[in-house]
Amino acid sequence: MINKVDEQDWPQRSRELAHLLARAGMGDRACFALLYERTSGHLLAVVLRIQRNRALAEDLLQEVYISVWKASGSFDAARSQPLTWLTHIARNRAIDSLRRAQTQPQLESTTRDDDDERPDASEAQADSAPGPLELLGLASQKRELSACMERLTAPQRQSVALAFFDGLSHAEVAAQLREPLGTVKSWVRRALATLKGCLDRAAVKDEQNKQKAT
Amino acid sequence: MDYADPKLADSLAATYVAGTLRGPARRRFESLLPSHPALQGAVQDWQGRLMPLTSALKPDAPSAAVWQRIEAALWPAAAVQPWWQKLSLWRSLSGAALAAVVGLAVLVSTPPPAQAPVVVVLQSLPGQGGQPGLAGGVVASFSGDGRALVARPLMPVSLETDRVLELWWAKAEGPPKSLGLIKADGTTVLSRGQLPGGLKGSGLDHMAVSIEPPGGSPTGKPTGPVVYYGKVQL
Repeated sequence: MINKVDEQDWPQRSRELAHLLARAGMGDRACFALLYERTSGHLLAVVLRIQRNRALAEDLLQEVYISVWKASGSFDAARSQPLTWLTHIARNRAIDSLRRAQTQPQLESTTRDDDDERPDASEAQADSAPGPLELLGLASQKRELSACMERLTAPQRQSVALAFFDGLSHAEVAAQLREPLGTVKSWVRRALATLKGCLDRAAVKDEQNKQKAT
Repeated sequence: MDYADPKLADSLAATYVAGTLRGPARRRFESLLPSHPALQGAVQDWQGRLMPLTSALKPDAPSAAVWQRIEAALWPAAAVQPWWQKLSLWRSLSGAALAAVVGLAVLVSTPPPAQAPVVVVLQSLPGQGGQPGLAGGVVASFSGDGRALVARPLMPVSLETDRVLELWWAKAEGPPKSLGLIKADGTTVLSRGQLPGGLKGSGLDHMAVSIEPPGGSPTGKPTGPVVYYGKVQL
């Protein structure tokens, strides 16, 4: 099951949310509750990609919204879109939780030899959720990035999708793809550089379309 | 390192936002952020590029317990309920106390019946968590046709500097509607103090005053504590 993505959806939703966030920043609990209602499903989905344990993911979501309430007064709508800001906070918290987990005693072996049963990237998720590559493909398709994305090699695409959507570190991506760490690092770096070009051009295009529409 | 170097700032921000910057390096980067505008700008640019990609994810609704835990953590004193439910809770729980309030919170109407002005006295309600309520009360006087309204606190109300008083009316059922902001220390003539259908036809059942942010409730419903309440008997 993949959510349909409207390419104009993100900025549009953000405009509505900016009002709620501004009100929350002034101490308006009702608006904060509405903000939660409108965004918690998305943020939980983001966190769950990275932290697969649902109970832990919900604990993180709780921490995320408590931070959001406390920081809502400092949100600057002129510099950032609310949904972008919220998603970043959620991802950050999820990534930090992995770091915390790593400093705790490991119950599971993390060695991955050739007999390792860890699935490869294309089937990284046992459930029906789309894989990271599929998500990247979908996201780029909706924003007409497909052609641009084709400039990435398959391993570059795979590395950046695993890192971004599933919160894998360079070392984890390397282990999963069974490639040297240095190689993976340069794949991710080049993939991000290419994406930057694509996404910036897409943003300009979105802006032009918006101006045409108004 | 020269964090003002745009290339360095850009590549660090990319790994930070993409999530591959980990461990001590990630913490160091975060501690640098507040004092390096160039890094902040680069981070914001990368957030703007990458975060919308997550819209490909299907939303996954959290369980109801998450919101309850958020509320309990943020506002432990107030078991936060919609304002109106809170009122009915008080009504049922403290029947005796409220009976007294209702008894006092009345109207004085003088003949002739058709065009008599109506005065509603709104009594102080107890504060949250057993705190004493605000002193005094608020008097609201409607002209007989319900088109003019004057309100004033019985004694000056001291509020935090960034808070105002807002006056509400409601029918026996249904959400409260704003009549406008009132002065904490004097008489206010409310231009919006008009009841649809006049005083009799409006279905006016009770009135309340809540504490709101400057400019009044942003939602059209009371958001702050209800501090004065008065039942109306027409």
